[in-house]
Amino acid sequence: MIDEPRPNSDAEPGDDWLDRALRANRAEDYIPDDGFSARVMAALPAPAALPAWRKHVLALLWAIAGIAIAFSLPGVVTEVARGVFRLVSASPVSLSGMVMAVVAMTIVTWTATAVVLRRE
Amino acid sequence: MADASVVTDAELIARSVVGDDRHAFTELVRRHQSSVRACLRRLTTGNHALADDLAQETFILAWRNLKAFRQEARFSTWLYRIATNCWLAHSRKRKEELLGDREESVAENSDEAADAADAGNDEVSRAAALKLDLTRAMRLLTDAERAAIVQCYDNDLSHEEAAYVLGCPVGTVKTHIHRAKQKLKAAMSAWDGSTR
Repeated sequence: MIDEPRPNSDAEPGDDWLDRALRANRAEDYIPDDGFSARVMAALPAPAALPAWRKHVLALLWAIAGIAIAFSLPGVVTEVARGVFRLVSASPVSLSGMVMAVVAMTIVTWTATAVVLRRE
Repeated sequence: MADASVVTDAELIARSVVGDDRHAFTELVRRHQSSVRACLRRLTTGNHALADDLAQETFILAWRNLKAFRQEARFSTWLYRIATNCWLAHSRKRKEELLGDREESVAENSDEAADAADAGNDEVSRAAALKLDLTRAMRLLTDAERAAIVQCYDNDLSHEEAAYVLGCPVGTVKTHIHRAKQKLKAAMSAWDGSTR
């Protein structure tokens, strides 16, 4: 931490008048705000929608809510799971199709992660 | 109002950074706008409109980089540093007219102003003439010399603080001030005898 301002010793023999003039020149009245602060605040970038920590908390809350629903309605969840399984098993799935699906999911996941990180 | 004056800059900065508190930052802007604008008015040698534009840019940059402020200097000194960098960047983009033309006109103006002050024997007009002449003579200085004079004389910073603001060694600040004063003395030689 730099201390309080100290007087500088720039004065040389013969330039007292210049030193006095320079020091007198600095004595300027307080510049009234006249809406300057308001203009600065209006020009600041828009605030982020949510602080970073709130996003994690929200994700956690949604996860807890999802698990709670799954436990409170076990029949519905298993029925939906069975239905999805039947749907998938009924349609022919090739190995290349599965690979493509995995690649697509990976791309979507990484893109979403990159977008979120850039915003933060 | 009384409460706001009790809160320190450090507390307002912490609120701005941690809580994204814009009211706290508004208070910081209100506190420091006058000194930052005055500093930039000196650097721009009286161009108030440009000084205010650069001051606004300074505070926006301060807001964006507030997390990086490590309190190694006073907040006002940190703001001077940003303001000076803004002005230097602007100055680099727009170089003004040739130095030679200015030297001549300032020397002529200096003589006229000093003569007028002597003839009038009026302390107020004399001080005003000296101030006007000094502002004109400041235009002869290089950006670095002018910045060093403004930081040490107008902002009353120590050489160490001026070195922090200008981002150069203390010895370089002293050199800039020495050269600046030589130029100012030469440009305002008519005042040398008349002000004693």
